[in-house]
Amino acid sequence: MTEEDKAYVHWLYQAVGMGNRGLLRGLEEIGTPREIYQMAVSGNLKEKVSKRYHNKITHVSESAADYDVQGEYERMRAQGIGMVSMAEETFPERLKDIPDPPCVLYYAGRLPSPKCKTVALIGARDCTEYGRYMAGRFGTELAKANVQVISGMARGIDGIGQQAALRAGGYSMGVLGCGVDICYPRENKELYETLVQQGGICSEYPPGIGPRAILFPPRNRIISGLADAVLVIEAKDKSGTLITVDMALEQGREVYALPGRATDPLSSGCNRLIRQGAGLVSAPGELLQELLADYHAEETGCQQKLSLLSEEQQKIVRLMDINPQSAEMLQQKYGEAYHRHLPYPQLLHELLQLCADGEVKQMGGSYFARCPKW
Amino acid sequence: MLSTITSGAVYGMHSHLIQVEVDVSQGLPCFQIVGLPGCEVREARERVKVALKNAGVKLPPMCINVNLSPADLPKSGTMFDLPVAVGIMTALSRIPKEASADTLLLGELSLSGELKPVKGVLPIVREAARCGIRRCILPAGNVWEGALIQEMESIGMDNMEDTIAFLLGKETKHPVVCQNKEVDLEALRRQNMDAENLDFADISGQEGLKRAAEVAAAGFHHLLIIGPPGSGKTMLARRLPTILPPLSLEESLEVSSIYSISGLLQSVASLKTTRPFLNPHHTITGRALAGGGRVPVPGLISLAHRGILFLDELAEFKRETLDILRQPLEDKKVQIARSTGNYIYPADFMLVGAMNPCPCGFYPDRERCHCTPYEIRRYLGRISGPILDRMDICVEAVPMEFHDMAKHATGERSRDIRGRVLMARERQKQRFNGTGIQFNGDMGAAEVEKYCRLGPAETGYMEKMFVKMKLSARAYHRILKVARTIADLADSGEIRKMHLSEAVCYRGMEHKYW
Repeated sequence: MTEEDKAYVHWLYQAVGMGNRGLLRGLEEIGTPREIYQMAVSGNLKEKVSKRYHNKITHVSESAADYDVQGEYERMRAQGIGMVSMAEETFPERLKDIPDPPCVLYYAGRLPSPKCKTVALIGARDCTEYGRYMAGRFGTELAKANVQVISGMARGIDGIGQQAALRAGGYSMGVLGCGVDICYPRENKELYETLVQQGGICSEYPPGIGPRAILFPPRNRIISGLADAVLVIEAKDKSGTLITVDMALEQGREVYALPGRATDPLSSGCNRLIRQGAGLVSAPGELLQELLADYHAEETGCQQKLSLLSEEQQKIVRLMDINPQSAEMLQQKYGEAYHRHLPYPQLLHELLQLCADGEVKQMGGSYFARCPKW
Repeated sequence: MLSTITSGAVYGMHSHLIQVEVDVSQGLPCFQIVGLPGCEVREARERVKVALKNAGVKLPPMCINVNLSPADLPKSGTMFDLPVAVGIMTALSRIPKEASADTLLLGELSLSGELKPVKGVLPIVREAARCGIRRCILPAGNVWEGALIQEMESIGMDNMEDTIAFLLGKETKHPVVCQNKEVDLEALRRQNMDAENLDFADISGQEGLKRAAEVAAAGFHHLLIIGPPGSGKTMLARRLPTILPPLSLEESLEVSSIYSISGLLQSVASLKTTRPFLNPHHTITGRALAGGGRVPVPGLISLAHRGILFLDELAEFKRETLDILRQPLEDKKVQIARSTGNYIYPADFMLVGAMNPCPCGFYPDRERCHCTPYEIRRYLGRISGPILDRMDICVEAVPMEFHDMAKHATGERSRDIRGRVLMARERQKQRFNGTGIQFNGDMGAAEVEKYCRLGPAETGYMEKMFVKMKLSARAYHRILKVARTIADLADSGEIRKMHLSEAVCYRGMEHKYW
């Protein structure tokens, strides 16, 4: 397909608009986008298409009248946005064999390489500290093993996993539910820019389309479609993440889930997936072993050198984990564990020193969590 | 004949002595008052005429002119009734001039000749004492206010008839004379405290919150408490006055003056001996909070002077209302400009805010909180950054667990906490002797520089913290101030690492919520 032809495809996509797959299919039957454009300009498009599209086709005919097909396409290219249609070789191979694949993909940056494995790292937006940590850890380790991380650039798990992968020097692709020229959510601006530089952003929607709720579920099929395996870090029982899992299963992708505590509502979705047969993955190595034939597990256990800390600090750190606890709770635990009362100001002092050493993180006025290292 | 009587009026927080000049001369019968009288002052004519008649004084048909000097100050209030009546009597030579010389007269007259209490007596009498006046005649209902002032002989009168008799040197039926009466502030304070019957020991658990309250009380730092519903935020705030250092006599008079101006001092028992505690509802208007009105009256922030202004459900207050606090928090006074002049009221209060972390109140407990991040941000966004910046201590109330409630309150009593606060207060008094600063919380940047010097080890520690905790320059200064207070509480001359750590803890919240 030549660049000129692609310009017509771009026009057709914009003219038909979102959520009109049926019309698109109807048009495909009567000719190539270029031919459709010419029909629209000459005014006989309506006669050619089947009757049931008649009320919708007027809009397409009208939009052709004063549209600069090549100019508009050039303008988009100049913004650094590319377009690839299914007919092309560069179209991601993995997407071609899913049911209901996107006809074209708009992208910025570069598309994932077909040679490297890809994993979709997905999860809740409002994640816990545990999810945050695990997303970061998986993102980093996957990137180090040269596995590409696909996700939705959303708040929470998605963004954290992608950020970690990019920081570790890996490749990541963000699949958006809006045009690729729009950064949504806005707070991920930095991630968005890094992705364009170091990874890629893609969307089936033409540039300029704003984020709308109905556009997001369909994009999930692209996330799972682009991936060889899907890993769910954290999900509630009723979660949008589970839509992606359903799509992945439909597409025949492997689904893995990270287990969590039974009492944690944010892990209940994951735990249920495991019960239903999803692969249980508790460390990046386990996933990589399944994914890569030649992977040799390195020791990546969560080991920390506590010996550098003072005795008191060691005692306190032993009581903590990555879920934040209030200083008061720690004081109580300390009393129970060591049968000694630790005055509150002193506890705060020790905790703050641990913060300064990077062992502990302050999560607000009186909550503290341990910073795990990997 | 001409007579001059001394009276007074309040302008903002400033009191002025007003000379009531009365001239009675031959001519067409008339009665007029000049010297920018307000409505109620003008109406004094009717009240005085009838009251004098009912006190058995018959006014001859003469031309009566009253001037309130200085004549360019607008006068309002009903306290000029008595001086005008006595002025007329003196001008008519029914009372000798000497009888009312060097005497301050204040009081409202009823038609029957009774003397009624008026507003603002305390500040006026204070001003009179400053100007060397040693005797005042007041309505019996106000006489105790005058008695608070040392070296002032306060004479309380029930009605016009008695007043005339007293000025003529006759025996009166019910003279209420208070002379240099010592008001036992300590006894009053104890009485007021017992009446409230609040104690820190009532709060079970919440050690962190209590500690933060202690630090805030010792250094008069503004305090913000964030926590889920029912975690004891309001309970704690209500008990804050019980651990604050007591008001000195001078402060007590200053605070009571504001209440006197607002007409809130009814009896000697309502004299402000404990630090005021005000908790307005969140629907309060800006004007009610800061003061205002055509004739300005002090707002709640002035009534909370030297005490606590507690804003419960801080995020529910209108943003504009909260932003009004910004300037008073900085200047410790509020200025209200009117065509009649600038009114300045003091507003040196400790701001205590309590709020939920999100609209439902349970964030970050994800099991119970279903607020979206957007909702949470919007909720917290109602508190503007500048207000947040002025909060020296931010602390989180942790949700109450059952075992916290089940175990009997074994916390410290207010009395013990107050002991430590008083010790810290003593250190501050010595440090700031002669600088006009009272508490660590009042320190400006220059004072922080001067009084919060760190040793080399501590400086290094703070440098590390500054980077690790992503502090701003402003936060750094606040931390030093709070650390100074913590050091004072620990009776330490130097600020140690431990004190800095705790102070840093009280700033950690912004990263989580804002």
